[in-house]
Amino acid sequence: MANIQIENLTFTYPGRERPALKGVSLSIRQGEYVALCGRSGSGKTTLLRHLKPVLAPHGKASGTVTLDGTDIGDLPQRDQAARIGYVMQNPDDQIVTDKVWHELAFGLESLGCPQKTMRARVAEMACYFGIQDWFHRDVAELSGGQKQLLNLASVMAMQPEILILDEPTSQLDPIAASDFLNTVRKINLELGTTVLISEHRLEEILPAADRAVVMEQGELVADAAPRDIGRILFEQNHPMFAAMPASVRTFFAVGGVGECPLTVREGRQWLESAIPEPVRVPELPGKVTFTGEEPAALTIREAWFRYEKDTPDILRGVDVSIPEGSFFAIVGGNGAGKSTLLKSVCGICRPYRGKISVFGKNVEKYKNGSLFDHCLAMLPQDPKCLFVGKTLRADLEEMTKDPEKIAQAAELCQVTHLLDSHPYDLSGGEQQRGALAKVLLTEPKLLLLDEPTKGIDSFFKDKLAGVLAQLRFRGVTIVMVSHDVEFCAKYADLVGMFFDGQMLTTDTPRSFFGGNSFYTTTANRMSRHRFRNAVTAEDVAELFQKNQEEKA
Amino acid sequence: MGFERCHPAVNFLFFAGVLAGCWTFSNPVYLVVALLCAIAFYVERRGFRALQVIAVSLALGMAFALCYSSYHHFGVTVLSYNFIGNALTLESLAKGAVLGGKLACCLLWLGCLHSVVTTDKIVYMFGRVSPMLALYLSGILRMVPRISRQSKKMDTARSAIGRGRGNGNIFSRITHFFREVSALITWTLEALGGLSDAARIRGVLLKGRRAYSIYRFDNRDRALVICLFTFLSMTLFSVLLGQTGAQFDPYLRFPQVTALSSVGYAGYGAFCLLPFWLDVRTRIRFRASRRIVGRITK
Repeated sequence: MANIQIENLTFTYPGRERPALKGVSLSIRQGEYVALCGRSGSGKTTLLRHLKPVLAPHGKASGTVTLDGTDIGDLPQRDQAARIGYVMQNPDDQIVTDKVWHELAFGLESLGCPQKTMRARVAEMACYFGIQDWFHRDVAELSGGQKQLLNLASVMAMQPEILILDEPTSQLDPIAASDFLNTVRKINLELGTTVLISEHRLEEILPAADRAVVMEQGELVADAAPRDIGRILFEQNHPMFAAMPASVRTFFAVGGVGECPLTVREGRQWLESAIPEPVRVPELPGKVTFTGEEPAALTIREAWFRYEKDTPDILRGVDVSIPEGSFFAIVGGNGAGKSTLLKSVCGICRPYRGKISVFGKNVEKYKNGSLFDHCLAMLPQDPKCLFVGKTLRADLEEMTKDPEKIAQAAELCQVTHLLDSHPYDLSGGEQQRGALAKVLLTEPKLLLLDEPTKGIDSFFKDKLAGVLAQLRFRGVTIVMVSHDVEFCAKYADLVGMFFDGQMLTTDTPRSFFGGNSFYTTTANRMSRHRFRNAVTAEDVAELFQKNQEEKA
Repeated sequence: MGFERCHPAVNFLFFAGVLAGCWTFSNPVYLVVALLCAIAFYVERRGFRALQVIAVSLALGMAFALCYSSYHHFGVTVLSYNFIGNALTLESLAKGAVLGGKLACCLLWLGCLHSVVTTDKIVYMFGRVSPMLALYLSGILRMVPRISRQSKKMDTARSAIGRGRGNGNIFSRITHFFREVSALITWTLEALGGLSDAARIRGVLLKGRRAYSIYRFDNRDRALVICLFTFLSMTLFSVLLGQTGAQFDPYLRFPQVTALSSVGYAGYGAFCLLPFWLDVRTRIRFRASRRIVGRITK
């Protein structure tokens, strides 16, 4: 039995006026899969942490949280540790020991299990999660996805009744994320473990969830079945609606009636019945934005690179030319060499063959740091790496002493109100924009972004897109490396596929994703049997409506 | 496959014994035995590339002998006089050679130890003493490389905006370096906070922690412990009889080789040779087993 009852929980962080949680009441039945949605800063983490007493934040709290009728704080320490499993955001931060086997055994060691039981349970976990092949490995050798899976396995080794996951996939690439969420689903289905998960990737968890709960400013604003949650948010005109799966957004955007499709398959079926063959308007007009005759901001000619003499080539003859003023997105799988490509543009990695020119001048001809002065700058994958100051302002002052420029950059990136906070105290999206402000103070004409949407929610993504749009308006060329096909489809001018150390195809998002059938957006997968080049939910909705008008 | 796959306790027992012997026995016979066994085992583990390391260790030992004898002038057998008129004696040269030999021998055994004893084994041994201590050790083994990776990442990120350790003139390089160090400290504290949360989630604060062991103490380990202790007792026997020491001042005097003392030599020799023998034996048996399988399935 594992019934969680949260009653009228209100919580205020010390020194704050506004409560982080306001009268939250929620009950979760044994074996339920509950998806907790909300923008960053809406109080999801605070709520989840209250369910694990050792993590409960300090502050003023009222209300009760009970597990099977016992107040959660009154549970014996041993029960608190074993019965409630908790997985956090960052895979790296949660791994305590240096070896996979030790990590798996960690919880059991704490419980003081006999050696024989420990061995049996560890073996069981390793097999269930498919870890046996890397059982003796050093954790440092694992990929992000493997690390997070290990975290899940080592929490499950204690056989918890409730599994709490706080944005577990925000740091993972899409394939690893979907593997991870499938495993969580499997645990829920096969073991009956209660799952409470907060997540940005609603496309993946809503179909699996029994219930979706939406939080906004510390309050629960909706609590319904996944199929109904879209309607509720749509009717409230709630900003969280933008985070719903593409099928849900399309459905309500065209005023759909009846049962809302949650998955790509359901979306396809819905379109099939709503738009009969032959389709009158099968495609949107393609936008030709760049003809290839513009001057190039960045040209790479047959660049070859490897890290060590005896290691395989990472770049294998990259050949690409990026027009000035464009927003160019480079997509591709993990470890394809995308980040290395950006590093070689910055001169951090030097290709042993080939040539890289920035604004027509060879990168190596830029002397004495002139490359990074009014010319080129890169926003790293982990924005934390850039911060060295006690406050964000101090960090920006590292770049320039001119207060006016700092104010402008902060304004542009919408971080003015955060200037006096410590950079490490900001949320993922805020850190990303703070780091962007810092990078922009070099006044680059060519901006390189490495996975800028990693770990940030749809609301912050829109904000980031707004900042990027303003930069483009000023004539800045943007090159972005990303796994986030939805973001690339929505905002980029050109998309290049990077595979096996080479740039394979370059095209506009509509033709690029319209031409792919696997590596493409959900909106495209949902609509490709009816529409030829609809790649975003907005595209599908537009075509849908055009077809309806034609019919009428 | 061989000694490496033994239970960590066996590994530790052996290395404790051999290092203690190396460091305390001054009788050159013991020293030569230990040195030869160390060379054999080191070559067995590392292949002939190990010869470089061996040559360097021996050269170091010899250099030490020369150095020692030119600063110490005890002894009765004067070989010659150096340029300031101090006597160079056979006794001080011999003592220097023994000390240098001990040094080289210990270095080689430590090299073997490094290749046999993995961090897992150390963590395991600590776990037998105190599970909490083992956890700290394991945490440090994870954290230290992580910090150095983060430092590299930070520098790469900051190089891409022209603020890396290698950007700018010497003054700005120093400034950039110190800024990175300070940020790295902040990052480390933050990461440790995350780590403590993660550890508490899985009940690190509960009483009665027990260390998980990936090792099993099997019959071969039992047999090896018995052998090791037998050889050790033979050696200890000759320690009690004063067979392992030597006198260098004022003149050289080594223990006489008798029937009884050869028990000690044999015991110590067998002790030192055990890992080498085990490795070679396992390798031969592995090859043989392939041949046998080939014969059966043909």
